[in-house]
Amino acid sequence: MFSSAAIQEIEDIRTKYPNARAALLPAIYVAQREFGWLSPEAYEAVADLLNVPKATVRGVATFYAMYKQKPMGRHLIQLCTNVSCMILGAERLVDFLKSAYGVEPGGVSPDGRFSLVIMECIGACGTAPAMLVNDDFHENLTEKNLQEILEKYK
Amino acid sequence: MITVTINDREIKLEKAMTVLEAARSAGIKIPTLCYHEQLERYGGCRLCLVEVEKMPRLQTACTLMITDGMVVRTETEQIADVRRGILEFLLINHPLDCPYCDKAGECDLQDLVEKYGPGKGRFKEKKRKVPESLQDPVIVRNMERCVMCTRCVRMCEGPQGASAIAVISRGGHSHIEPFSGGRFDCEYCGNCVSVCPVGAIMSRLHRHSYRPWQVKEQHETVCPYCGVGCTVVAQVRDDVIKRVIPKLGSAVNNGMLCSRGRFGYEFVGDKDRLTVPLIRQNGALAEATWEEAITLVAKKLGEIKSAAGSESIAGIASPRCTNEDNYVFQKFMRAVIGSNNIDTTARTGYAGAQSFIENIFGQGSTANIISGLANSDTVMVIGGDPTTVNPILGLQIRACARRGGNILTIGDFAGLSKFGPTKLLPGKYTETVVLEAIVTALREKKGLSGSNGPLETRIKDISVAVADATAKCGVPEKQLSAFVDLLAGAATFSLVIGKEVVQSTGGSYKLLLLAAINYLANGRIYMLTEKANEQGALDMGCAPDLLPGYRPVAFPEFAKKYGAHWHAEISEKPGLNLFAMIEAAEKGSLKALYVMGENAVCNIPNSGRVEKALKNIDFLVVQDIFLTETAKLADVVLPALSWAEKEGTFTNMERRIQRVRKSVQREGMEDWKIVAEIAKNMGYGMEYASSEGVFHEIARVSPLYRDLTYEDIAKGENIYPYKGEPLRDVKEDIQVDTASAAVSAGKLYLKIERPLFHSGTLSTRAASLRNIYPQAVARISSATAKALSLTEGDVVNVRTKAGSLSLFIAIEKNGDSSAVEISNNFESKGAFRLADYTLDQVTKAPCIDAVEISIEKVIA
Amino acid sequence: METVLLKNIENPNSADITEYKKVGGYRSIDKALGMEPQQIIDEVKRAGLRGRGGAGFPVAMKWTFASADPKFPKYLLCNADEGEPGTFKDRPILEKNPHLLIEGMVISGHALKAEYGYIYLRGEYPAAKHILNAAIKQAYDSNLLGENILGKGITFHLAVHQGAGAYICGEETALIESLEGDKGQPRIKPPFPVNVGVFSKPTVVNNVETLSNLPYIIEVGGEAYAKIGTPDCPGPKIFCVSGHVEKPGVYELPMGTKLKDIIYTHCGGIKNGKKLKAVIPGGISTPVLPPEKIDCAMDFVNMPKNGSMLGSGAVIVMDETVCLVKVCHRALKFFEHESCGKCTPCREGTGWLRSILGRIESGEGADGDIETLLAVSANMLGKTFCPLGDGAASVVQNFIKHFRPEFEEHIKAKKCVVNG
Repeated sequence: MFSSAAIQEIEDIRTKYPNARAALLPAIYVAQREFGWLSPEAYEAVADLLNVPKATVRGVATFYAMYKQKPMGRHLIQLCTNVSCMILGAERLVDFLKSAYGVEPGGVSPDGRFSLVIMECIGACGTAPAMLVNDDFHENLTEKNLQEILEKYK
Repeated sequence: MITVTINDREIKLEKAMTVLEAARSAGIKIPTLCYHEQLERYGGCRLCLVEVEKMPRLQTACTLMITDGMVVRTETEQIADVRRGILEFLLINHPLDCPYCDKAGECDLQDLVEKYGPGKGRFKEKKRKVPESLQDPVIVRNMERCVMCTRCVRMCEGPQGASAIAVISRGGHSHIEPFSGGRFDCEYCGNCVSVCPVGAIMSRLHRHSYRPWQVKEQHETVCPYCGVGCTVVAQVRDDVIKRVIPKLGSAVNNGMLCSRGRFGYEFVGDKDRLTVPLIRQNGALAEATWEEAITLVAKKLGEIKSAAGSESIAGIASPRCTNEDNYVFQKFMRAVIGSNNIDTTARTGYAGAQSFIENIFGQGSTANIISGLANSDTVMVIGGDPTTVNPILGLQIRACARRGGNILTIGDFAGLSKFGPTKLLPGKYTETVVLEAIVTALREKKGLSGSNGPLETRIKDISVAVADATAKCGVPEKQLSAFVDLLAGAATFSLVIGKEVVQSTGGSYKLLLLAAINYLANGRIYMLTEKANEQGALDMGCAPDLLPGYRPVAFPEFAKKYGAHWHAEISEKPGLNLFAMIEAAEKGSLKALYVMGENAVCNIPNSGRVEKALKNIDFLVVQDIFLTETAKLADVVLPALSWAEKEGTFTNMERRIQRVRKSVQREGMEDWKIVAEIAKNMGYGMEYASSEGVFHEIARVSPLYRDLTYEDIAKGENIYPYKGEPLRDVKEDIQVDTASAAVSAGKLYLKIERPLFHSGTLSTRAASLRNIYPQAVARISSATAKALSLTEGDVVNVRTKAGSLSLFIAIEKNGDSSAVEISNNFESKGAFRLADYTLDQVTKAPCIDAVEISIEKVIA
Repeated sequence: METVLLKNIENPNSADITEYKKVGGYRSIDKALGMEPQQIIDEVKRAGLRGRGGAGFPVAMKWTFASADPKFPKYLLCNADEGEPGTFKDRPILEKNPHLLIEGMVISGHALKAEYGYIYLRGEYPAAKHILNAAIKQAYDSNLLGENILGKGITFHLAVHQGAGAYICGEETALIESLEGDKGQPRIKPPFPVNVGVFSKPTVVNNVETLSNLPYIIEVGGEAYAKIGTPDCPGPKIFCVSGHVEKPGVYELPMGTKLKDIIYTHCGGIKNGKKLKAVIPGGISTPVLPPEKIDCAMDFVNMPKNGSMLGSGAVIVMDETVCLVKVCHRALKFFEHESCGKCTPCREGTGWLRSILGRIESGEGADGDIETLLAVSANMLGKTFCPLGDGAASVVQNFIKHFRPEFEEHIKAKKCVVNG
């Protein structure tokens, strides 16, 4: 069940479009935030609110890589390993994250602090390697400054 | 005229279409996989790529529209290469399951690879692995075989409109599954099974039990369940129905089926089928021979007729039996027994409502083609969810919505909720005032044309202002006015009326108001019809006051005329209807009752009362295919052949006569044959060589079916008004019953659930339908559950004046908080056990909307 | 050439409306709203503006089709999905010059008589979302968006719609599907979006950079604009350079600047004194070039003659330390991940190609693998529903075309011959 604040948020979003269905992608983001991830309950809440069949909601949501189909850590690391980042050492950073925090691509660290998702180019190729942590961009990464950056995310 | 050249052949087309359709019209084959004529074009499989002059890339024939002068090639070396390549792609992850897969022999992929595909594979990588899914009771998924044609999803989202399955994820990770990932929990129409080209989605009912080439016979017949009368094809091996499939292009359902039609056939071969007659001896039913049973029935009926008179004997025919069965039965009652005490359970709603409407608009005014609903611009629904009672009719309403039509409902119908309905939700018992307000406003907007005097007389003074209606029913003024505006603006209006209206207090008055709305909006009426041959039973004269073809018995000229046909004297005295029979049995004036094909105890309210009444009868004969609750009370039980084992005809709610065809050979006699044997034993000759012979007589005797033959029916000359003109018999004065009921605060009321997966009690004998919906439950809203501290899985006792039942509860999120909804399909746990009633004075239908019900938790 | 698109971005407050106006922003909107829609289209035609998303379609032609359609309302969609690997040219505009885009969209909306605009912004740009929303609010507050803009009777509503991680949504019909609340799977064409687009109405989809050119075109006029760049491809272009160069980043240069000059003159050449090995000139989907082919003008006409494409102008520079088998493999991992799954060749082929390349990279390549790669990609090229499949196939074909010996050695040695 959505909180009334979330319902209001989605209703406000809905006014930007001529029909309720177009609000589906933004509504799924709200559900992801409210429920932590897109559980069956989250899907049903969106389906009921926008009057879209729940199988359809799940089908649409699972199409997109940034909607989370399982519980996440407290902080989401989205690290790019596409070509520009790869040739500038992004893969070493993936290994580093595994050894330093115990988090693997697609997984959550044992202490629940970080989850790691590998990205397909986040538009920071000129300052590669780069990552997003939650909504923050971090560029020109090295093993050293990576550790410093992640310190801030408790 | 559009001229295209395909493979150097010039083809002229009159209308716009795709290259694929143009090619097909000329007999040119282009391979396809994702294309299906009932579905929106997709262009995904790429098998239909063809060369089009002046276009740089190959084009998919299924998506490209033809233009004048287009030149197309479909058979070049490059195209052959492309087809090989596409099929190679489809095979790289496809398991080599052919020897084991149920689809082998009718698999599109097999056929395509055999014709166009590569001889060898070059794929050396790891194949995708997906485990088989047996979590669903009727549908099995082997998704490794899936070729992502998405026909199943497009069928479910499109023509079916249920949106129960979806493609999850994307790219090579795409997989199709229902929301839960396991059980479908859907409408179980199985239309996804119909369109799957490979063995990915299949029915469990015939799993691993035969190969398509072993099916030596298949028979086109009519579904035995509801009044839509879908064409179904029964595929048979060794006298067992292996599978029932639809037929693309068939009348009425055009290749679509519902859960009952598709998965409900297993009752035919069920081990509990009656095989030998039973005679009660020393209080218990014991096996007997046909000779013993027939002789006994003939003897007893003869004795009772002599001793107590013809009028002490009654007969109940069946809306599940064929026209031939019903005709012979009423002839037996009239010509042999000499009584007009004949009726069917159509009396519980369909009969009275239809004659009421036809009184106003003429015979055949409810005989409207079901597919026409999809072409309406406005459809109004009241009194029942069409998607559960007559599912294929419900699909037409969904199609109407998809095409931009307006769906208006009075009430909340789950099956239409995703189709943008404009809903009015009046408080309990205030429907009438809402209808009055609508009639008032609509009449003021549109005026009276003068073409139906009696109706106009009745409605010209109805005057309820919207504001007053709002005050009484709780529907906001704006909503009510908007609803009326939509009705007023309708160009092609259809009105769908369900049983709840007919079985409610003041039902006939509501029917008048609905007739008025239909009249003012210039529409046509559809009445939801629960059983396959309700219409036919009435056509055959299974009514106490009507002879076959709706001639009244009370008119001497008709009694004489039919008497001449039947070489007997026909009584002119109208007989007892269904409810009067029960009363007479209670009183003791009814001494004998012959029940054919009907589970009277379960299908007539109030079950406890009916049971008691039947026990009071001296001689009860029950003819059926199972030992039902009613049969268990009989003195003689006669086993009949089922719907799949005989020839005959059904007449559906469109008044379309269709052929029921024998699929399975079984020892025994058709219902009409058993009746004929009894007649013979009573000294009255009924010699019919076959069902067709019976139909010949019907065509001679009934003015309605005059001169029709089985060939006519097969040819399609079976649409009302058949070969003649309908009777127009509009009475001067329209009677109504204006009884009303009032809510007692804080009380709960009984509501009858009409589920999608069951129809009467017959469907509970079909194992797979039972697997989908296994037992009766008491459905309550989450508010009611909270108030009574009930949680899912609790057992409760529900109690009314008529009786009590012990049931599991089911909590419905958006349920009606004033009701406890219970189905009437499970024999010992039917809602009619709880339903006492009053009769509508005009339609004679039972009003069961005012049954107070209490509910309390059973502490284990 | 004066800086047009990346003007003022060194200013940390460049995204603020006051700062934008200080450097001349929102003057063009005033001028444009006084013009007739057809006049603006004519000016754009004179300017020779071509789409900057990668296809290079003449903007005035697309707009003319949409204008001619009788259906209303019309929609202008800004494609800010910037998903082509190597591309980061729109991000500086979105994050640092959002008002330029907004001004460009209002002008374009007026030209199209479109009342509604959406910026389809990729989900991977959360900062841009906040900045754009703030800028849009500032514009609404200054009567530069909404009803009766600047009192001139023009209405244009603008909102940001965020994507959720799907490269395919950069394709215009997939973008429209996503905006409507569905999966981003491309649609059958015809009908084209200019006739039946979002919500079944005439829709124009243009790239961020394309729309951001409008204020300047209105300011100096189409003829003057066309003096920048080349006659076939006029105007400024943001090139975004990444990889092994001294100074990677965004460079606003005239269309037609030579690739060689971009790498050596503007970006300072290969870093750490290494040798150039390969260049991908316009984003991962464009054919890779060997060093001997970089003396070519970067525009829509000359690059195809040179065996590649301008694409998004995203230059990825790879030095001698890069294993091209690994790069090719990684590229196919990308395409496999981003395939929408609708059509057979792309859905099955991208995975097949990726798997073979993976085996080769990890030392499990076998004889015949290269032939299979070429055959499978040939079965994809031209057979797929949309160009994503073409991109994947062409990547494989071009890497093998120019660097086949490296693949053969990698297979024979059963390990990477570049990095041991």
